[in-house]
Amino acid sequence: MIVSGWYPIFLREMLLFRRKLLRLGYLFSAMVVPIIYLLAFGLGLGKTVKIHGSDYLTFLIPGLVAMSSMNNSYTWVASALNLNRVYFKTFQVFVQAPVSPSSIMIGEVLAGMVKGLFASFLIIIVGFLTSPHFSLKPIFIIILLLNCFLFANLGVITGMLSKSHEDTATYANFFIMPMAFFSGTFFPVEKIPGLIKPFIYLMPLTHTNIAIRKAEPDMEWLISFAVMIVYSMVFFVYGSRLIKKYSE
Amino acid sequence: MIEGLGLQKHYGNIKALNGVSFKINQGEVFGLLGPNGAGKTTIIKMLTTLSRPDSGKCTIGGFDVIKNPFEIKKLIGVVPQENNLDRELTAYENLLIYGMLHSVRDIKKKIQGTLEMVDLWDRRNSNVSGFSGGMQRRLLLSRALLTEPSVLFLDEPSIGLDPLIRHQMWDVIRRTRIDGRTVVITTHYIEEAEVLCDRVGILSKGELIALDSPHNLKATVGEYTVEFISTDGRLIQHICKSREEAHNLAKANETPVTIRQSNLEDVFIKLTGERIE
Repeated sequence: MIVSGWYPIFLREMLLFRRKLLRLGYLFSAMVVPIIYLLAFGLGLGKTVKIHGSDYLTFLIPGLVAMSSMNNSYTWVASALNLNRVYFKTFQVFVQAPVSPSSIMIGEVLAGMVKGLFASFLIIIVGFLTSPHFSLKPIFIIILLLNCFLFANLGVITGMLSKSHEDTATYANFFIMPMAFFSGTFFPVEKIPGLIKPFIYLMPLTHTNIAIRKAEPDMEWLISFAVMIVYSMVFFVYGSRLIKKYSE
Repeated sequence: MIEGLGLQKHYGNIKALNGVSFKINQGEVFGLLGPNGAGKTTIIKMLTTLSRPDSGKCTIGGFDVIKNPFEIKKLIGVVPQENNLDRELTAYENLLIYGMLHSVRDIKKKIQGTLEMVDLWDRRNSNVSGFSGGMQRRLLLSRALLTEPSVLFLDEPSIGLDPLIRHQMWDVIRRTRIDGRTVVITTHYIEEAEVLCDRVGILSKGELIALDSPHNLKATVGEYTVEFISTDGRLIQHICKSREEAHNLAKANETPVTIRQSNLEDVFIKLTGERIE
């Protein structure tokens, strides 16, 4: 059986993921944070606050999907890769195999995307149950897939650069957590003071939140989509390079 | 077949290898013997593309490890010192993933063959986390053999195993020596190096201080060792070139003495003044 180099890496992650899914704790941990936000902000403010002419819950759910897909794609890849590299040493098996660095990258990223999509799927179900105006459009799915891809790539970079598992959590606290709150998940980015707006527009999740809420592609959607593509490509190339240069 | 030339490696301020050079012939079982921290694993990591030397060069089958890593990876099988099996997966799944990474043909048949070789076929669907240390070492060996590598690297293959299991492991390693396969073993077990290796390189503090067959190494320093306890309770060892010299030394000693054949540890002590621990 001849297979592409990325597939066994992806398959390995899926076999491990299947085992995790059978544990109740995994499902709970994937859902708990966005559900808390949904209850605290969405259902609390949902009836009283209007954004862009619709109720707050309709505004919030795509943001929660973006945040959840970011968190899960990024965290699972960064954490698993770092543990496999530093503690369990299973990453050695990949770099000692005759597969290209980009194949390793693709395998890890696709696995991260599946985990991100799975968590997003749970939020989408909740969205359909709680918000009558919530709907899935093709551009929503495109942006969701791209967001998972982008942050899984960033997860590989973090997993490769972190010297310990604690470092991985530190990166998440410095970059992922602020992004979750300031990139337009809970409120529109135009409400943010002008002084810090340039920083906000540097954050990739800002562009996910802009693009995922659009009903139809327009110029703003195209710009955000292009920014996400650029980030994804840069992260992919840099992650592949880190794998290529890996040395113990 | 395998050549290292002037290999140097630093980890921070620690000099792990200091200009190590060696040649390993095709089909031989070559041992790297030395205490912990001597540089054995560093050499294995360099030869298996896992670590880059600061300077120097290593080749396998004419391919440069740095310039042609892809070609090297097709030739080698590795049993690492640290267990890098996926503990949450079954034995079969571990081998399946490894075989797919190496594009092994007839993969199911080969997995069965290698698992039967190490007596783990019956446990193929058990999670590795439930395996004993010996079973995990055997699974690592079967995984390395799955690709039928031309060169097999075994980094401390029997570390942490009790004597009975260690001897079983040696039997399996002996059986891997087929079709002109080259085997490179690192060990700090004297007996392991003597039993398995055609030639042995002795490493101390990042330097290769001797390289020859176990017999020649022992002959160089003396084939017989006289041991006795001194009046202040210390173990005294004298290495003698001949049986006569050993007997004469024993006769001259007033305390009870033991005369035995020298081993590679005696060689190491003679060359470095330290023991292999």
